[in-house]
Amino acid sequence: MSDMNPEYLITFTTILVSGIGIILGTAIVAIVEGRAVIKALDGITRQPESANDIRTTLLISMALLESSSIYVLLVILILIFANPMITQFFN
Amino acid sequence: MESITPQIIFYVFGIPINSTIISTWIGMLLIIILAAITSRYFPHALDMLGEFLSSMVSGIMTADNVDEYLPLLGSLAIFVAVANSIGIIPILSAPTSDINTPIALALVVFFGVYFYGIRKKGIINYFKELASPIFLLPFEIIGQVSRTVSLSLRLFGNILSGEMISAIVFGLLPLIAPLPFIGLGLFLGILQAYVFTALASLYIDLAIATEN
Repeated sequence: MSDMNPEYLITFTTILVSGIGIILGTAIVAIVEGRAVIKALDGITRQPESANDIRTTLLISMALLESSSIYVLLVILILIFANPMITQFFN
Repeated sequence: MESITPQIIFYVFGIPINSTIISTWIGMLLIIILAAITSRYFPHALDMLGEFLSSMVSGIMTADNVDEYLPLLGSLAIFVAVANSIGIIPILSAPTSDINTPIALALVVFFGVYFYGIRKKGIINYFKELASPIFLLPFEIIGQVSRTVSLSLRLFGNILSGEMISAIVFGLLPLIAPLPFIGLGLFLGILQAYVFTALASLYIDLAIATEN
């Protein structure tokens, strides 16, 4: 790998990191959100009269959880479309 | 780079007008026309919309009367919902898929929180309660800034990812395959409008809550 053209090396690393990152960033968040949904459904089946409160809280907390996945996506979008290394070194 | 920043269409007196601004204008025009038609011919539909927004906000806030906060939160909900959904018109791109629009909306919420908090408690009391144990003040400031950033980035990332996924599938198989993703994008846009409004009302509720 050391005899590689540095531009190729940076592109290769970017693609590798983007693939691994989006997998980890979405899979972990999906698992955690699934646990939240399981608990909320438990609560709704146990107390159907409080379904509205539980739903509101569930949506808000899922939006807060989701944002960490969105951060991963944004970092990867910046890496792919506006990579600071490439614009700094190869222009 | 050109994929996540908007393209400049033309200049007005040296000010660049990009595609986001045009689709925002079209969205505003749509809201105004729809509001005019509905208020003239179907006033009950407008009543129902107001009632729905009011019950949604009052389900989240602990304040007794939410009419005071409804103008800001309701217009945020309507604007964000229209701005997220307008991306399905083929030429236009959603205004919220450009980072500038969500940041502007989040700044409105940021200053709205201070406005309502100061109006409810008075300027001295509000800042005294903000820094009640004085060593918690830095964390409070960090929290205020980071929740504004996350509010804007959440909206931006969701809408941008929806648009990009349907664009990628369109590039692969343009005929019918993108339809489910466009539908998913519409659903996520409406859900994000709800989440944005819910979080904005939560922040305002935290600012106006009294200690007891």
